[in-house]
Amino acid sequence: MKYDEEADVRTDTAIKIMALFFASIMFLAFTTDPIASGTKEGQRAPPLEGLSYNGTGWTEFNMDDWLVDNWSNTDTTAAWMVVQFIDTDCGFCWDSASETGQAADYFSKSTQENWDGPVVNFIANVAELNIPGHESSRDEIVAFRDKSGEETCAKGDCTTRPGNPHRFTYIDDLDLDNMDEWKVPGTPAYFLIQPDGIVAWVSSENPQEKIGDAIFRIVGGEE
Amino acid sequence: MDANIILLFYIVPLLFGTLLLTSFGSTIGASLSANWPHLESTRRQRLLGLNVVLLVGFAISVHTLWISNKISEGGAVCSSATVFSCDDVLGNIAYNTDPLFGQPWGIIGMLAFGVLMFLANSISKEPDSLWAERYSKYGMYLTLLGLPVIGLLISYEVAMGKICQYCTTAHVANVIALFGFWTIGRMHEHGDWNDDSPNETSV
Repeated sequence: MKYDEEADVRTDTAIKIMALFFASIMFLAFTTDPIASGTKEGQRAPPLEGLSYNGTGWTEFNMDDWLVDNWSNTDTTAAWMVVQFIDTDCGFCWDSASETGQAADYFSKSTQENWDGPVVNFIANVAELNIPGHESSRDEIVAFRDKSGEETCAKGDCTTRPGNPHRFTYIDDLDLDNMDEWKVPGTPAYFLIQPDGIVAWVSSENPQEKIGDAIFRIVGGEE
Repeated sequence: MDANIILLFYIVPLLFGTLLLTSFGSTIGASLSANWPHLESTRRQRLLGLNVVLLVGFAISVHTLWISNKISEGGAVCSSATVFSCDDVLGNIAYNTDPLFGQPWGIIGMLAFGVLMFLANSISKEPDSLWAERYSKYGMYLTLLGLPVIGLLISYEVAMGKICQYCTTAHVANVIALFGFWTIGRMHEHGDWNDDSPNETSV
């Protein structure tokens, strides 16, 4: 009788190694539930980093420092986050600045209004879009946020921007690092982020819904 | 349990396998030969050491992938208070997948160590086959190929200013496996392969 002993050894070994491999994959499948990274609803938001201005000076910002590990829906004490991508020379961002400022004051409980849901912190990531006439600077970021200085924003002097000065943090993303990482095609764009870093709502996926309405619907609380 | 203590469960067998691959292997083999007589053979000591090292490399790759998945769920595995933090390295989506296929580094490790285990196991089971020496060379080339990948991953850690201790253990396992495949290849070349007269074998 003819038989190939060498082939048997290697086949036997290959089957055992493959069995070990698939057993490992099954172990991982049963014990973990990985969440993909990305900027679609249900995905884990990419990193958001850079120098940030909060009204007093420029400091390092890292979104990870704001997130809560092992957060669950029942935890109403953890803060949510709205990340908005803007350009100080973008007309739509200029127009929406007033409404965004009011929403930020209300949901972050920085005023005396009666939002009884979890705190929602607003973060503005300021990009410099590759469009002629959209040259920006840190001075312009400060001017847009604080309505101060002598810089020129989208529709005129930054001090004439609609609404009150903003109280929330602005990130310098003039090099578009965060914008590219988050794959944001244009401004303004809004992302509602759960306390654990999962994207809960994206303006591009919900063009009919405003960010304030989305917070009421998803985060909860009584108006 | 602390992540660094769990790591010891990998480091101890890795050290055992490494010792079997060196001249200490003869001492260990002699002390174990009462229960396992076949370990008197230098070749069997080296192959056992190589298989243990590769199994550790495979297991730690699985663990690394498990940590990656847990971090993506929002969990925390390693403390990030020190420079040693697998969470910060494996949780960094800018670096935690390979640049070609976008797969987690853990699965790349599993595949690599799986192939290496196949080569080493096949040699162990059929050491006198014609392909045994060729397989030891394949193993050496594959582990050599792993060195630039390890270099890339270390550059990521330098960029982040953090060290993933689990990843580092897997890298070390690859380097030891390179030494192991080189050692058994050298034994084959020098005629130290035969285990008929274990007392006369030497490396």
